[in-house]
Amino acid sequence: MTRYLRLFAAFARFGLAGEMAFRVNFLVKLLVEILWLGILLVFYWKLFEFTPNIAGWNRSEYFFFVGCHYALAGVVETFFLTNCTEFAELVRTGDLDGYLLKPIDEQFLVSCRWIDWSTLPNIVQGVGIMAVALTLIPWTFDPVNFALFLLLFACGCALAYSFLLILSSTAVWLVRNQNLMEMWWLFTTLMRYPRAIYRGRWASPFGFFFTFLVPVLIVVNVPAETMVKSLDLGFIVWTIVASLAMLVLSRRFFRRALQSYRSASS
Amino acid sequence: MSGETSSYAEMARTISPVRTLRKYLNIFRVSLIERMTYRGDFLIGTILRFFPVITTVLLWKAVFAGNEHRSIAGFNEQRMIAYLLLIHISRMFSSMPGLSGAIARDIRDGNLKKYLLQPLDMIGYLLSYRAAHKVAYITTSAGPYAALFLFCSGYFVGLWPDAATLAAYLASLILAFLIGFFFETCMGMAGFWILEVSSLLWVVNTVNYFVSGQMFPLDLLGHPWDVLLKWLPFQYMAYFPAVVFLREIEGPKLVEGLLMELAWAVVLIAFSRMLFARGLRRYSAYGG
Repeated sequence: MTRYLRLFAAFARFGLAGEMAFRVNFLVKLLVEILWLGILLVFYWKLFEFTPNIAGWNRSEYFFFVGCHYALAGVVETFFLTNCTEFAELVRTGDLDGYLLKPIDEQFLVSCRWIDWSTLPNIVQGVGIMAVALTLIPWTFDPVNFALFLLLFACGCALAYSFLLILSSTAVWLVRNQNLMEMWWLFTTLMRYPRAIYRGRWASPFGFFFTFLVPVLIVVNVPAETMVKSLDLGFIVWTIVASLAMLVLSRRFFRRALQSYRSASS
Repeated sequence: MSGETSSYAEMARTISPVRTLRKYLNIFRVSLIERMTYRGDFLIGTILRFFPVITTVLLWKAVFAGNEHRSIAGFNEQRMIAYLLLIHISRMFSSMPGLSGAIARDIRDGNLKKYLLQPLDMIGYLLSYRAAHKVAYITTSAGPYAALFLFCSGYFVGLWPDAATLAAYLASLILAFLIGFFFETCMGMAGFWILEVSSLLWVVNTVNYFVSGQMFPLDLLGHPWDVLLKWLPFQYMAYFPAVVFLREIEGPKLVEGLLMELAWAVVLIAFSRMLFARGLRRYSAYGG
């Protein structure tokens, strides 16, 4: 375990050194992230000029949700997204061979090799939005509630990571997966909004499917609801169970993909 | 020897407009075949592309459910959702993924030579190439999009435009393609002056997403932002075609809008040409 932690620290240092070699690029990436956040906030702010609440979330609660999503997406982007999208490239070029020969767990190596430092501030910004939203909500600190939130946030990250790993593993079969980053972005639009918007004749079954069969809707919803709305024990248990199950499932899927891997080039 | 010379002279004479056209048509054909090679990847991408559509529609339905006037900046729920669906059609024509990046990369790596050494205009080549990809994209996604619009046909009841509006809509879309293409080309040409354009592109694309009206109709922003943004070329890549379809803009306003769009297309074409010509003077063809 310490070996993995040491390696992870080494990867982190290496990543930071890499980013610092292109400082202007790094700064622009930061700027884009801030710009994007600004656009999102303007967008939601505008929406609330026309309605007092969206699917039962008032402005402050909704901004907490936005912050929660932003922080969670930030965690995934910082630690896993670049790695998983690069997996497709490793498969295509055959460079994965070198990774498989290393005396270390392949999943760890493939998914933790690079830390994208430029998206790290997203986590801070997300936390900042959540903090501001909480001061506007009239919210009182409750240690149990807070601990539950942290646990569910971790579960959300685990769920998102599992989906990402499964999605990138498909690269072994569909060799050209070059728009994986875009596919991930498209897929994660499902976790971007409150679960309660999936209402109506066709939207309810859609929401049900992505809550219980492919549990992506609960990723941000359950932690955010637990913190600023009511505790729903059933959903809390489901989120914990689903995240554990998905971690196991995604690992199996990844290993299955590696078995099908046929090295490219010579 | 002399016979050979005369055959060259003959060849030079036969390079007629028809041959030029045939050259670019062949580029079009080859690009189309290339595009169709990766159908599996393409199909999954198309399916996933519906997710944001579904979530946006549902989000706006939730917004309207809480709005007491049932109208936002002159858009009722039906028109708003129709607008957001039509944005996808606009973007089908105007989005040019990877174009600027590819141009800048060719400049940086010195690969630009391959265009300069051939009797081929680079911008013309890229235009044929993109047009082919657009045709492939539009025809392969026509099915899924038809299904989507059929599914959402409730939002279009009474909104289906007459023939004249439809013609104007089509014109606005074709111009949207040209504006999208030449805007991206100009961005790529920046590569002559700055080595790494990818960061510039992120900024521009992020801003463009907002100012072209992809998030919501520009009218929502209120005075003076909406007026300002309607003077810029970005709106033609998303907002303008959609409101033409919805007949938000009619009569003289429509003609004026289309002329403005045409003017922007011409400006961008001229600007990209100028940047290319100036850039080539600086260009030193690095690399092997």
